[in-house]
Amino acid sequence: MDETFGALRVGTDLVPVEHVAESVARFGDRYIGRVYTAHEVSCCQGTPSVVAAGLAARFAAKEATIKVLRPVGHQPDWRSIEIRRDPAGWCAVHLTDGAAEMAREQGISNLAVSFTHEAGMAAAVVVAMCDDPSTTTRRSNSDGG
Amino acid sequence: MEAEIRGILSEHARLPVDMGDLDNEADLYQAGMTSHASVSVMLALEDAFDIEFPESMLRKSTFESVSAISGALSSLVGAPAE
Repeated sequence: MDETFGALRVGTDLVPVEHVAESVARFGDRYIGRVYTAHEVSCCQGTPSVVAAGLAARFAAKEATIKVLRPVGHQPDWRSIEIRRDPAGWCAVHLTDGAAEMAREQGISNLAVSFTHEAGMAAAVVVAMCDDPSTTTRRSNSDGG
Repeated sequence: MEAEIRGILSEHARLPVDMGDLDNEADLYQAGMTSHASVSVMLALEDAFDIEFPESMLRKSTFESVSAISGALSSLVGAPAE
């Protein structure tokens, strides 16, 4: 008897906080408005360095999500990948529009994210289940696995 | 146009190599441009050429080389007003 297991996908990214701070300083609201949602901006308040660290962590999470979505050609709008903070403190990936469509097409569900920032760098990891038949792992009871 | 594009790339693409060492077809992502740097490049191009990249052009391929950027800008700058 065969069992079909959904494949796991993992994406990761690393962003220097200074790069985000410089983009905020150089392009201001145009940069923020093209990349981040209003909710994400509301979660990143404080001194410029605190804002930049929060935005850098969220950018890393968005890019890690894109690595999970594996877009061919067209990139989803950065804002269609939203990092939502739960009132209890943890964060989740919420997809809309083009990103949500890509996820549906590939059978991607149950995205989980973790990110951090320390020593001037922001890092994120995104894990997702994928039911796409072309990427699932088939394992037989007879293969000893 | 290419000289201006190269200037913007030198300032915003954060490449570990000199733009003078890259020809117009060189893959900028392979040369070290990150996704975040490509956002800054896009915004700087919009400032310099007074255009806005539509969502349909937000592909990695749009910003992957000097030639690709030049082609994208030509289609936007030369596009008839709606």
